[in-house]
Amino acid sequence: MADYAPVDLAADNLVTFELNGRTVSAPAGTMLVDAAYAAGVEIPIFCYEPRLGPPIGACRMCLVEIEGMRGLQTACSTPVTEDMVVRTNSPMAKDAQDGVLEMLLAQHPLDCPVCDKGGECPLQDRTFKFGPGKSRFIEPKRHFPKPIELSSRIALDRERCISCFRCVRFSQDVAQDGQLTMQERGARSEITTFTGDAYEARFSGNITDICPVGALTSIPYRFVARPWDITNTPSVCGSCPVGCNTELTTRDGELKRITGRDTPNVAVEEGWLCDKGRWGYDIAMSPNRLSAPVVREAVGDRTVSIEDGVAAAASLLTGRRVGILLGGAVTLEEAGIALDLATNGTLDNAVVARLGVASGNCAPVRAATGAQLGDIDAADLVVIVGGDPAAQQPIVELRVRKARRFGARVIGCGARPHALESLGDFTRTAPGHLADGMMGLADAISNAARPVVLWDEADLASDPGAIAALTALLAASPHATQLMLGADVNGVGLSALGVSTTGLFEAIAADEVDAVICVHADPLEAAGSIAWQAVFDGFRGPVIAIATYASAMTERADLVLPALTMWEQEGTLVSMTHRAQRLRPGAAGPAQAAAGWELLIAIAHHLGHPPAYRTAASAFTHTVASHPAFFGMTTDLIGTDGVVIGAWPADDVSPAAIVADPDHLVLVATRDTFGDDMTARSHALRTAVSAPVLRMHPATAQALWLNEHDHAVLISDVGSSSALPVLCDARVAEGLIVGPLGAPGSPIEGALSRNQHQAIVRVERT
Amino acid sequence: MNADQVRAHIDPIRHEYAEARSLILPALKFAQTEKGHLTREDLEAVGEATGFSAAYVESVASFYDRLYLAPTGARVVSVCVTLSCMLRGADEVWDHLCEREGVSHHGGTSEDGRITIQEAQCLGYCDRAPCIQADAEETKGPFTPGSAAAFVDALRAAPDPHEFWR
Amino acid sequence: MPILNSVYRHREAGHVLTELVAYRAAGGFAAIEQSIGEMEPDDLLYVFHRSGLRGRGGAGFPMGRKASFLPKDAKLAKYVVCNADESEPGTFKDREIIEMNPFQLIEGMVLAGYAIGADRGYIYIRGEYEHQARVLDAALIAAREAGFLGDNILRSDFSYDITLYRGAGAYICGEETGLLESLEGKRGQPRLKPPFPAVAGLYSSPTLINNVETLSALPPIVTQGADWYAALGPEKSPGTKIFSVSGHVQRPGNYEVVLGETTLRELIYEHAGGLREGHQVKAVWVGGSSVPVLGAMHLDTPLDYESLNAAGTFLGSGGCIVMDDSGCIVRATLRLASFYRHESCGKCTPCREGTNWMERILQRMVDGEGRMEDLELLESLFGRISGKVLCALADGAVAPVASAIKMFREDFVAAVTDGGTPRPAPMSVVEVR
Ligand SMILES: Cc1cc2nc3c(=O)[nH]c(=O)nc-3n(C[C@H](O)[C@H](O)[C@H](O)COP(=O)(O)O)c2cc1C
Ligand code: SF4
Ligand code: FES
Repeated sequence: MADYAPVDLAADNLVTFELNGRTVSAPAGTMLVDAAYAAGVEIPIFCYEPRLGPPIGACRMCLVEIEGMRGLQTACSTPVTEDMVVRTNSPMAKDAQDGVLEMLLAQHPLDCPVCDKGGECPLQDRTFKFGPGKSRFIEPKRHFPKPIELSSRIALDRERCISCFRCVRFSQDVAQDGQLTMQERGARSEITTFTGDAYEARFSGNITDICPVGALTSIPYRFVARPWDITNTPSVCGSCPVGCNTELTTRDGELKRITGRDTPNVAVEEGWLCDKGRWGYDIAMSPNRLSAPVVREAVGDRTVSIEDGVAAAASLLTGRRVGILLGGAVTLEEAGIALDLATNGTLDNAVVARLGVASGNCAPVRAATGAQLGDIDAADLVVIVGGDPAAQQPIVELRVRKARRFGARVIGCGARPHALESLGDFTRTAPGHLADGMMGLADAISNAARPVVLWDEADLASDPGAIAALTALLAASPHATQLMLGADVNGVGLSALGVSTTGLFEAIAADEVDAVICVHADPLEAAGSIAWQAVFDGFRGPVIAIATYASAMTERADLVLPALTMWEQEGTLVSMTHRAQRLRPGAAGPAQAAAGWELLIAIAHHLGHPPAYRTAASAFTHTVASHPAFFGMTTDLIGTDGVVIGAWPADDVSPAAIVADPDHLVLVATRDTFGDDMTARSHALRTAVSAPVLRMHPATAQALWLNEHDHAVLISDVGSSSALPVLCDARVAEGLIVGPLGAPGSPIEGALSRNQHQAIVRVERT
Repeated sequence: MNADQVRAHIDPIRHEYAEARSLILPALKFAQTEKGHLTREDLEAVGEATGFSAAYVESVASFYDRLYLAPTGARVVSVCVTLSCMLRGADEVWDHLCEREGVSHHGGTSEDGRITIQEAQCLGYCDRAPCIQADAEETKGPFTPGSAAAFVDALRAAPDPHEFWR
Repeated sequence: MPILNSVYRHREAGHVLTELVAYRAAGGFAAIEQSIGEMEPDDLLYVFHRSGLRGRGGAGFPMGRKASFLPKDAKLAKYVVCNADESEPGTFKDREIIEMNPFQLIEGMVLAGYAIGADRGYIYIRGEYEHQARVLDAALIAAREAGFLGDNILRSDFSYDITLYRGAGAYICGEETGLLESLEGKRGQPRLKPPFPAVAGLYSSPTLINNVETLSALPPIVTQGADWYAALGPEKSPGTKIFSVSGHVQRPGNYEVVLGETTLRELIYEHAGGLREGHQVKAVWVGGSSVPVLGAMHLDTPLDYESLNAAGTFLGSGGCIVMDDSGCIVRATLRLASFYRHESCGKCTPCREGTNWMERILQRMVDGEGRMEDLELLESLFGRISGKVLCALADGAVAPVASAIKMFREDFVAAVTDGGTPRPAPMSVVEVR
């Protein structure tokens, strides 16, 4: 990982100092290690990791000589000052580096040839660069049964540990899960969990990135590859709307590992990933992965080649009025091509719509200055309006915790209880009454110097009063910035292209469409599935599913074209903070599958309308040229760090508002990223899955004659859910039921209306 | 010990500290008075009462020599082996006690479970070297191997203390 | 051989002063009455400063100067912390003060608290001193009942109370920032400095940390005047110091001497009763075990900070461990090395690994598996441990080993050539009653 903090050499508070005889500069207060690194001088470090908080100066690797100061100083904890004279390569400093390395290696097993970290190990690298020639330690080394499983995903080899405290500080200070600690004292110190329990936490994998030796390694990556036979590709994660920047490690065309990037994106994830983004990729190898096209005929299913599959698609579409349904995670390119085909005469006047949470008329809120995740760090007030960020947009949790560590106040309101509420003062509001909760926030916002308001897209969209209230709230402070907690992976991208959540359903129902293409979209498993089921039951035309995994729709479709995953294809996703970022392939995928964009282009060719673009890159260029929010954007501009897109005029239609009243129970759906279908199918995440439950206040349960663990179904106007176990949680408002959106088998989607995440329900015990 | 018992002990002193974390050590010492060592439940209770994770509480406890994470004998006998005591016969006392209690030269608990003997670093009774401490309450010296054995025998025969402060 | 018993009232009185009335009768609390509400805090601070009192915990830093480093205008709470962790091998003077004269410490802490404008004081006492902790507990209650602690002390505007905090067995918690971490409910691992405790100490607030003996010296300084104290002993090392003498002496115990007026020889031979017939001094660790060892040739060194520095060692905590020629310096050194290995907190690499390594090499020498090159190896490690770490524990671990090898090299060489060192017979003792 990038161990050194980035240094802004264009800052206006530069100081000039002498480093090994050269005159260099850095902003005042920059730690010497970082300033030196920026000036091309590597001062070796182990415990220093600026993302973990203030330096602790434990490993003593960074000792340097500073004129006028007695002895040597730790460069990781010494800020640069004007005219400081520093020597990192004097005999005294060299001897100290040599000495610390010798001490570090004294007990180290030196098993690099069999160590997963070998070849990309800071201890190994720094030993070569700064270390002693040979060890003089002849005593027997300490021995532990090696290695142990810290969790099903992380192996701990205590013999290799150098007690740098990085993992412990991550767990205690950054993720604040409290689980990983140092035990015992002195030479007996070791990393462990409570009485040796498994380290089960959602960000646990980051410790494998920051461990500077091979003590903490990823179990799925054990013995899988060596640094010299892998390629690393920068990409982004498409598991949630945050869009964390990742690095894909590929060997022989197969994806072997996902890590944070060497140079983290400070505006987004700062190098931290949630365990799902890191390890969930193994679902690409799961049994329900689609690997070849299937033509469904009266006599049975027929597996065909991808060429034949595309030809079959073209013939099914020829002469028909087509509807295209896009999933919330399709790329800009895929959506752009669909829109293009609908308007350029290929699929005459096709209706294009997306599946997902309606984003409503939130334009007034978005008009306030937007913030990036990185801006939360510097906030003195973090306001969270609605939502369930820790579950829905995981990495946001770390940013808010960081701001809190830096002294920010955290406040907010909302219907659903969430993990970040323990950081500050929160008011519980009834669904549809977010505006009431916001009244209590106005003073804090107007008194804050740098308030950032995080607001939940779905909650706001379905609560018109809340949109007005939040708009007013933001206008009350000239310093306030806002950041949307988005619902769908590429929801912003699709919305900026003008793709709405409505139109197609109505067109099918009205018989205005007689062929449907679903692109990474399964309406039969989405909110409103009952209604979708009904229209498709009456639909006689062909349905083509472009999909990666088997689902209700791929079972129902007349033709299934297997598509590549987000780890196998190129494309652009726009994150919830409006940041366009590039997916880059890190694996090849099945031979008879292709990227969604490729399939759409191929179909157009077969229809006799070859489009003006043939590659993802040219499709991108074509797409951005025709949509104002993307004007001027190029892949170069996006680069590796992404770029924030412009404003766009159109907004989605608002879903019907659901307002709680004392006589009715309200279901509010929450998508727990660790409770969805994808997590459930990952082998690596098998111990991280959160089980689907109906959460409600104990009093609500009691009033319904329900005990904890009883199973219940929810019945609404539009349909009913599957039976789910009841979990009592006193933090949930009375009269409210929090249910899992996107859980395996879509248990609650049947009780929801299309594009809605709330419903008035009745409850029945089963 | 359960969290309510721990709370009953620390709530009256909560106001003496600006941060609740400071209560962890007093809570641990108090929890230990019950059985003489800290069980998984004790650590969880301290965590719950103070608001910190059990893992954190355990990591704090493990730092200190006088918090025991494994069962001990009814009495813990600490034999100082640091320099001043060594010069006046601590090693002889230590060897004799280990042999009599049937434990290895690293110390341990006697088979009857009555006595744990352990090496201690300087106990601050060098004027009475070689010295021995029974739990943390009673420190005596100087001892010869013989008188030390008699002291341990007396401890073995004595009723268990009401509370274990070690 | 001048004996001075005027700083610590129980020594002057010749009996324990654990009852409040007894302490009052011995002149106790006069300093509080004289200053709280009667003197400006700054003036009191200036009295401490002028007395020249230096810290008795080990480092010898001038107490008044340290107190003056606390920011005056800070809106943060301020704290006084008394270091009663007394774990330095060979040191047992704080134990005596607490056991026999707890009110003088309390009075000193109130004076210090008043001078710096503290909100609360804490006494961090080592876990092994449970008996002493109970003595203090009782004294705190009595002082509170008598109005010397708590709200509006002696009806002044000054409110201040003291909390007793029990440690749980870790030498490193005597290091001031390790102590603060422990007091904050953490593992007692020392902090990076700066910031120093005076600026950001307990709960990041300005904090004055002093040893038991240091704080207990404040009441007589107030009642008898800074000039009186400053006039005791040499200019740079004024006052009295309690030396804890132990090891191969006839009368181990605590002896209070005026700094600069007593030599090491007088301390050992006159105060502590000398050695056994026919034995000579071989080695003396005069300031606890964390200091370079002295030999017989240093016996005429006067006991004060400067003279001991000139002799190549430190006054330290005043824990004077004496070994006569019956002892084995290699084994003694190993024993101290084991102590530091056991007590290293494990945070800094050179200390965690280095203390362990030193012990293992010395153990091999004692066991007869030493090699000639081990001496050079050890010597090459000293500079890689000492001064390369966060706190002074590692320096303290190196000092006795490095100095012993320097001064008694032939004994270490003999351990290698003779195949180890036999365990010498210990000094026989009079059995406990
Ligand atoms: C490893 C180590 C252990 C120490 N132990 C003690 C101790 O037990 N008692 C003490 O008063 N000072 C001890 N000190 C010194 C303290 O850090 C600190 O200097 C002292 O408490 C300040 O008080 P004073 O100025 O009154 O001496 C120790 C220092 C180190 C480095
Ligand atoms: S020098 Fe040793 S005891 Fe001191 S902080 Fe470092 S590791 Fe801990
Ligand atoms: S050396 Fe044993 S009590 Fe001090």
